[in-house]
Amino acid sequence: MSTYVYGIADAGHPKLPDGIDGIGNPAHKVRVVRGGGLAALAGDAPEDLRPKRRDLLAHQHVLSEAGAGGTVLPMRFGSVAEDDSAVAAALEQHAEHYKERLRALCDRAEYNVKVQHDEDAVLRLVVAQDDALRALVESNRKAGGGSHEDKMRLGERVAAAVQAREAADAALVRDALEPRADALSDAPQSTGWIANLSFLVHRDAAAELANAVEELRQAHPHLVFRVNGPLPPYSFVDQGLVAAAGD
Amino acid sequence: MTVATTQQAGGSGGTSGLYDVLELVLDRGLVIDAFVRVSLVGIEILKIDIRVVVASVDTYLRFAEACNRLDLETGSKKPAGLSELVGDSNGSGAQGKAKGALEGAAQAGSDALTQARKEGEAKASPRRSSSRSSSRREEEQA
Repeated sequence: MSTYVYGIADAGHPKLPDGIDGIGNPAHKVRVVRGGGLAALAGDAPEDLRPKRRDLLAHQHVLSEAGAGGTVLPMRFGSVAEDDSAVAAALEQHAEHYKERLRALCDRAEYNVKVQHDEDAVLRLVVAQDDALRALVESNRKAGGGSHEDKMRLGERVAAAVQAREAADAALVRDALEPRADALSDAPQSTGWIANLSFLVHRDAAAELANAVEELRQAHPHLVFRVNGPLPPYSFVDQGLVAAAGD
Repeated sequence: MTVATTQQAGGSGGTSGLYDVLELVLDRGLVIDAFVRVSLVGIEILKIDIRVVVASVDTYLRFAEACNRLDLETGSKKPAGLSELVGDSNGSGAQGKAKGALEGAAQAGSDALTQARKEGEAKASPRRSSSRSSSRREEEQA
């Protein structure tokens, strides 16, 4: 039977979640496969493995449990080896690399920060900061909303102003939060966010990052933040941490 | 406290937090060449378009209507009222996003994922200050 792999930890990880529920329906138990001084969190792979909500959640849950007890390199969802011995072989083959990554990520977690605009607030902001726009809004309003062309002219200018704000605010957030982290990774871009950033943060600096977000939120009420963390360091397992933090 | 911080450690992470980080679970994380990866065909988690504002007739008209509707005086003179509004929309807006990601997960469309990969590879350095605007240009050319 093929083997699903959740993540890789040092063999000395003090609290591997051996035996908890993993992916599959009914859930397959998590087991530990060892090799090269490392321990892989693994389990039987379901026959028809698909990225289902339930399994994504289980994958994340196993890694969160493991991460609470020590450093873990999270696998991308859906990694399947032929069997346990193939997992052990992979651990042995790349043991030094994985150990280096585990050392680099020790006591660190990923925090994902997503930012969006509050639409009404950002509209108020751009109109308030531009007298010409403001005059256009007023004149349209007096005309009962204005003609189709009036609306188009106003809307186009407002859209351009909001777009400029998106870019400026994304840079603002990045610049404000980056110094609080050991490394920064651009998270996959997705609809609706003006910024989607992942930060690698040492355990001792997590509160500092949260404070920095809170300061931003207070200072810029048109920005809406979603902070998720601590997360397994998904975005930093394959990166040169030193290179990323050094420039 | 309107900053939504989801504590994931210790298994206390709720599902709403998961939807916010689905793209990390599916698109980041360690890959071992010797292992097979599950096919993500049919998963549309990763959309390329980060632009909230799309320059289109619909957007223009929507903004014009919104500006007409907004009480600009109140907004600029009463910051307390404004932050209250932001607080409200933070909650509901965030829920909307989470729902959007869930629906996206169930939808078909592998193109977006493939495209996202390409884009990820095209980014030489994620730290470069112009990465956002340059990736925008890539989107527009795509």
